[in-house]
Amino acid sequence: MSASTDNSKSLFGYVAEFQTASDLYHAAEKVTEAGFRRWDVHTPYPVHGMDHAMGLGKSWLSAAVLVGGSTGFLFALFLQFFTQVSLYPTVVQSKPTNLFTLPAFFPVTFELTILFSGFTILFGLLTVIMLPRWNHPLFNSPLFEKATDDGFLMVIEARDPKFKKEKTHEFLTEIGAGKIEEVAH
Amino acid sequence: MAGLKDGDNYKDGEFFKSPTLLKLICLAVGVGGLLLFFILRFSMPEKAGAMGYSWLFAVVFFLSLSIGGMFWTLLHHASNSGWGTVIRRLMENLGVMVAVCLILGLPLIIPQFGFRDALWEWFPKREAALEVAVEKAEKGREAYIAEHVKVLEKSSAELEKAKAEFASLDSPSPGHRAHFERKIAALEKKQAELDSYDASDEAVLEKLTDKYFLKEEALLFVKRAYLNENAWYIRFVCYFIALVGIAFTLRRWSVRQDTDPDPKWFRWLRRGSCGFLPFFATAWTFLVFDWLMALDYAWFSTMWGVYLFAGCALNSMGLLIIMVTWLRKAGYLKDIVTLEHYHLMGKLMHAFVIFWAYIAFSQFFLIWYANITEETKFYLMRNTEFWNGYTITFLVAGHFFIPFVVLLLRKVKMMPMVLSGVAVWNLVMHFCDLYWIIIPERGPSLSAAAGTDIQMMVPGAWIFDLLAFVSVGGIFGFFLLRQLGTASLFPCRDPRLDESLNVVN
Repeated sequence: MSASTDNSKSLFGYVAEFQTASDLYHAAEKVTEAGFRRWDVHTPYPVHGMDHAMGLGKSWLSAAVLVGGSTGFLFALFLQFFTQVSLYPTVVQSKPTNLFTLPAFFPVTFELTILFSGFTILFGLLTVIMLPRWNHPLFNSPLFEKATDDGFLMVIEARDPKFKKEKTHEFLTEIGAGKIEEVAH
Repeated sequence: MAGLKDGDNYKDGEFFKSPTLLKLICLAVGVGGLLLFFILRFSMPEKAGAMGYSWLFAVVFFLSLSIGGMFWTLLHHASNSGWGTVIRRLMENLGVMVAVCLILGLPLIIPQFGFRDALWEWFPKREAALEVAVEKAEKGREAYIAEHVKVLEKSSAELEKAKAEFASLDSPSPGHRAHFERKIAALEKKQAELDSYDASDEAVLEKLTDKYFLKEEALLFVKRAYLNENAWYIRFVCYFIALVGIAFTLRRWSVRQDTDPDPKWFRWLRRGSCGFLPFFATAWTFLVFDWLMALDYAWFSTMWGVYLFAGCALNSMGLLIIMVTWLRKAGYLKDIVTLEHYHLMGKLMHAFVIFWAYIAFSQFFLIWYANITEETKFYLMRNTEFWNGYTITFLVAGHFFIPFVVLLLRKVKMMPMVLSGVAVWNLVMHFCDLYWIIIPERGPSLSAAAGTDIQMMVPGAWIFDLLAFVSVGGIFGFFLLRQLGTASLFPCRDPRLDESLNVVN
């Protein structure tokens, strides 16, 4: 690879291939044990329990969604009460215009709660995974293409504090990696 | 992966030894309560109506739990799921309880108990209206036949006269001839119609009965094809055959698989379930139409079946969680059921808390907005006096908001005791929900039937409600405990056992 001639500053990290999902799972447990932080695994299909093996904690996204959903809920109630009850009391089918109008506002409240939650999920997720971006260094790696086909891949990034060019390479071989590829920025 | 469990290690199953003492307590409470209830029933004939509502409530509560068990079994097979194989036998055992519940429901449909006519006013009303109609028809029959004969004679005389006039003309002009031909043809047609009219005694009696029935009770006349005794009893037999047949088939095939290495039973279950589902859904929907919606025969809601179903699915999942926790406390299924299963069951319970609220609110919302007198009656009754606070406390807050918020937390779903606590809470709310569906009809219906001032509540009748609930519950508990011991606690040779043992979500 051309990357091997570059100095370590332009090294993005290693892509390592494992034979099976099970190998990858055990390797992930060892990487977690070794204390790496900037790393990830890529498989063609979801591997059950991988989040546990990788020692992933709880995402903050669910808390954000709760806040987003609550905002939508309150906003919808405010919008409807303000316009239909306070500002311009609107009588529909001789229904009252006070607190007892509440059932009429439920559908909109429900929808806006969902909408705001959905937007929070979408934009929160984009923030977490740092999208959109034009390109990613991993696309430089021919091995990485197997992630959507038949490859069980692990990526350890060079910016990880524990990353040492030679030692990490050795470590990957030790935990059972087959092919290991250096990826340049 | 480390520590994958192999289903072959569990192929002998795990057998539950029913605690005899608990079983005997259940039986004693059940049979004692049952005897007391029916002794009270026959020593206080004036309370028969009030007690009918109590019995209906108790039977429907436990019936709904077993219907839910059947639903989860069917869904598990039809969707070819793997996660719940280890708890599927518990669902099946819950499902076959449907037979116990429907048999306990027999006093409701046997008129000699005095429950049927008090619960479903359309029975006495229809009977009274028919009696009046038949009496009037008997009286009016002769006059009607005489009138018919008179009309017939008059029409044939007219025809004869026209024919004679036509024959007496020597040379009629073409216009004249056409006029007579048309006149005679019309009269002949009328004559033929009158002749074909069945003027026998029976036919006239039937026609007149319909006429007077329509005048007496228009609504019952219009609904007569559905709301009549014969159809009602035939329908009950169909529900019984469908529900009991499906529940027992599901369990029998599943138990056969425990000893037979041939996976054909598993395949049959999967295919069978897809075919059973429509019959199951239809039977339950029409059963609740007949038993609960018909408490007021003038009222209707198209969401009734799905509303009752939502409560069933939610609360039988709750009961399953409680059963699993209890069995694990007693030392069973320790290695089989994991926190992952709890998490999944908790998620399903949460989903159905939301589903129930969605359906309950939709039903209310449509009726509230449309504001049609015959529909709003249901909610008017349940917003009056005591029931108004009851609705808001138990149904809006207790049945939806509290479990919804509590179950949002992932930790709650992973803690068996806490999750079982939530399940108990949901069962209490299900009790309140069914109580709210059935009991508010009691006061107004009974006082209207007795011809006194309309009363919302029958004083003191709640004692019968509790007594009926405890006795049906005791019998249900006894049979469920007995049922649990008759086969392995989980389908031990199911092809999906490995998948279920190692489920991760």
